[in-house]
Parts: sequence; C-alpha cells; structure tokens
Amino acid sequence: MKADGTIVARKLHKSFGSHHVLRGIDLTVAAGEISCIIGPSGSGKSTLLRCINGLETIDRGVLRVNGEDFGHTETDNAYLAVPPQRLAEQRAHIGMVFQQFNLFPNMTAENNVMSGPVLVKKTNRKAAREQAQELLAQVGLADCGHKYPAQLSGGQQQRVAIARALAMNPSIMLFDEPTSALDPELVGEVLAVMRDLAHNGMTMLLVTHEMGFARDVADEILFMDDGIAVERGDAREVLANPQEKRTQEFLERVL
Amino acid sequence: MTTNTIDSTTEGRPLPELLSENKKRITPKRPRDYACWAVAIAIVAGLIYTTATNENYQWPVVFGYFTTQSILDGLVLTLVLTVVSMGLGVLLGLLLAVMRMSHQTPISGLARLYITFFRGTPVLVQLIFWFNIAALYPHISLGIPFTDISTPVDVNAVMTPLTAAIVGLTLNEAAYMAEIIRGGFASVSRGQYEAADSLGMRGFTRLRHVIIPQTMPAIIPATGNQVIGMLKGTSLVSVLGVAELLNSAQSIYARTYQTIPLLIVASLWYLVMTLALSVPQSMIERRFSRSTRRPATVATATKESLL
Repeated sequence: MKADGTIVARKLHKSFGSHHVLRGIDLTVAAGEISCIIGPSGSGKSTLLRCINGLETIDRGVLRVNGEDFGHTETDNAYLAVPPQRLAEQRAHIGMVFQQFNLFPNMTAENNVMSGPVLVKKTNRKAAREQAQELLAQVGLADCGHKYPAQLSGGQQQRVAIARALAMNPSIMLFDEPTSALDPELVGEVLAVMRDLAHNGMTMLLVTHEMGFARDVADEILFMDDGIAVERGDAREVLANPQEKRTQEFLERVL
Repeated sequence: MTTNTIDSTTEGRPLPELLSENKKRITPKRPRDYACWAVAIAIVAGLIYTTATNENYQWPVVFGYFTTQSILDGLVLTLVLTVVSMGLGVLLGLLLAVMRMSHQTPISGLARLYITFFRGTPVLVQLIFWFNIAALYPHISLGIPFTDISTPVDVNAVMTPLTAAIVGLTLNEAAYMAEIIRGGFASVSRGQYEAADSLGMRGFTRLRHVIIPQTMPAIIPATGNQVIGMLKGTSLVSVLGVAELLNSAQSIYARTYQTIPLLIVASLWYLVMTLALSVPQSMIERRFSRSTRRPATVATATKESLL
C-alpha cells in the first residue's frame, strides 16, 4: 500500500434513517496538508471525519484515502464492502483522536500506546515499549507511562491518545474536536502537541472550534452547514474575509 | 454589611478582638442518638439471653452433630453441586449472552425466549419438572443426524435426583448469568470499540484485550452474588432427595425429632460457607476495579502487563 497521506472525497452522501447528514460533500487534502472543518453543531462535521476511517459507512460517493478506494472496492455496477480484515488494514494507516479520548481504562498509558503495535502489527514488546516511551516523551509525558488513564488529567489523557494513534505510524491523523471536552486551561497543552505534529509534515484533518489554532496552523478551511460544504479556501483568507453569508454569520457568533 | 466583613488581607482594617478561631466545632449529642444505642443493645442482649437460656435450642445436640460424618458428606455434596452447576451455568450463560447480543434476530430471539422462560418460573418447580421429565419423554435417542449411529437412552434411568438437580440448577443459573454477562458488555462505551477499530484491531483481539477486561468490574461482583445465591439455592434440591447439607440434616431429625438443633447445624454451615466465599469475592473485585481506582503503587502498575 502506498499510504501517500492524501484524502479525496467526491459527492459523499450519508443518512441516518431519514436524516440526511452528508449531502454531497467534496473534500481534498494533499499530503502534509492541515485541513480544518468548522461549522455549527449538527452540520455533519464529525460524521464526515468518521466516514474517512470507516467508523461510519458512506451511502454514496467516492472516497479515496491514501491513494486507494477506502472501505469499498469498485465493481462494474457498485461499490462492494471490503472484508473486515482489509478494512482494518486500511484503518491502521489512519490515526484517530476522539473528543472523549477513549483511552483503554484497563491499560496503563504506556500499554495504551503499545496496544496498536503489539496487538495489530505484532511488533515485539521490547521495540514497542521503546517506541511508546519515545512517543510519550514527545507529547511531554515521559513520566506518566505507568499511570492508568483515571490517574491522568483530561489534557494528559488526550496527549496519550495522540501518542497511541501515532504509534501506528499513520500517514494521516484525524482529530474529532480534540479539545472540546477539556477544561479551558488544559486546551493549550494539547494544541501544542498538535502544532508540533503539523510542523513535522503530518497530513491532518481536524474538526475543531479552536479558530485561533485554525488561523495559525491550518492550510485550508472547510465550512460546513447542514451537510453541505458552504465555503472552502485558504484558512486565513476564509477566517478574515468570508465570502458566504452563512460563514460570516457563523464566524461572527464564534469569534 | 460589607463594611463589617473581616478581611485579613485588607490593610489598615484590624481584625476585631476576641476571635476564637481555634475552637473546635461540635454537634451536641441528642437524646435520640443514645436511644438508638439503647434499643439496639437491648435487642441483641435479649437475643443472646434467650438463645443461652432456652433449653429447646439444645446446644449440646447442635455441637454434637456439627461435625457428624453425614453432615460433612452433605456439606461436600452442597459444595460440589454449587461448583458444578455454577461452572456449567456460567458457560451456558456466556453462550446465551453471545446469542442474545447477536445481530441475527432469530438467534437473539431464541436466547430471549430461553431467558424469559427460565427466569419467569420458580427454580423449585423447574427442579421437580426435570426430575419428572421421563413422564414427558420416556425415551430419547442420541445420535448423529443422517447416519445410523444412535443410542437409545432410557430417560428414567439417566435422570437420577443428582442429575435432575444439576440440570435444573444449571439451566436456571444460565439464564441469570446471561443477563449479567450481557450487562457487562453493555457497560463498555461505544467509544472503546471505536478506539480499538481505529487502531486496526479486529474481532477477537479487540474482545480479548480491550472489551472483556472492561466488562469484568460489572460481571465479577454480580457473579459472586450468584455463587452465594447458588450455594444457598442448592438446599432446594433436598426435595428431590439429594443428600446435600439440608437433606442430611433432615434425615437425622426424621429419626431423632431434634428438628431445631439440626436446622441450626445446617444454617451455621451455610453461614460459614457464605462468609468464606465473600472473602475471595472482595479480593477479585478489588483486582478488577484497580484501574479505575487511585494510585495502584508504581511497582504493581509497572509489573502489570495486560497486553
């Protein structure tokens, strides 16, 4: 697999029952690019992100991740769901960070970070432990490897979660409102880690309400409302000078 | 009012004198606090007095029979019944729980039917029913379908009191265990499955390393209660004539008419066993809840490797 760190989505549609959540979304993220999805709650931002690593299945449209069709393979007249084994392989190249951290509470921080390499890639434990210690140091938690998630603050948990995702050496990192569940004084430490990551050339797609972070770090912004991409463009451009009326209204309310 | 507030950080505003800030604050005892103690002590003292002085308890008889061979044999059979029925019940319960959680509606429907039936009828009735199953199916034939290999089985001969007891207790227990196990899985949040998925984990790995360990804090304590319940529940099979603890006591007092002392013997043994079981239960409970508790010591935490 090439795992070139690109995301291409064309005319994505997704419904939950009668609720049409994604209504023909286009998205392009080039390798090494930082892309932010913003928009009011219920606009389908998280759903779009979750479709990209298969936590939700799209109903219609083309989704190519890392240079190949994701989750389905194209046949003459339809897209056919790939077997679970194949889906798991594709997912392993995409790191995901959740709003609620979702660390495994039964494992120490270090074992959380080791879980992917050891259980999925079958890396030997010694190498995995060394890598885990490096990653924990990288997110500023070198001393916390032996602690259980319940003993860590929200910001620390989220940094462990980032290290856990990075342990799989993903070519793309997805962030689903990574700071929304944090106390305000803990947001900075998580954003700092993400900023580091961005500078190291990781392809990142994030759903966020941190406009300051988007302005500083993002290359592109996609403003979504009601399942539609209302406006997209250069991050600073869109934030400073939104063209669409709905974007203007949204930014006025959040800034 | 604000002018009167005491603020030690405000300069030029001396604290009023006679502040007794070092005095303890005490809630005075009220009459009812003493009354509660008096009532409780009176009740306990009364109980002790009557058990010690009422000849009808026949304590010498109680101690005389406490370690009689037949009582001890009954005790062993009670323990065997508990272990066997509980073990089989957990296995069958696990199967039922998996079926119940299946996305295939017919499969989960079957499990639901089983659970409804076995939880909805008294275990005593079930036990008597299994003992008399031969009236319903006098002969069954065990064999491999579509072959000639089969053995006729005489149900009446197979369904001894002991078999009926184990079958009855197991099938009943399985229904309860299925619900407990299902509850354990329901207690694990969706996010845990998603986090495992996003790392590329699949079916069994995800179950074994992420999900099952998290179901344990919900399943273990409930299972402990079930074991204790089962231990006491085995006394029901005395009606089938299985010589477990209660039945052994009954056989003795049927001869000697010393009903009360022998019921006390049985009760004391049940009490000893349930108390003994509560010790390992609380130990296991502590082991499984450790990750959510405050500092496990550094040493134990690093030694631990769940992977």
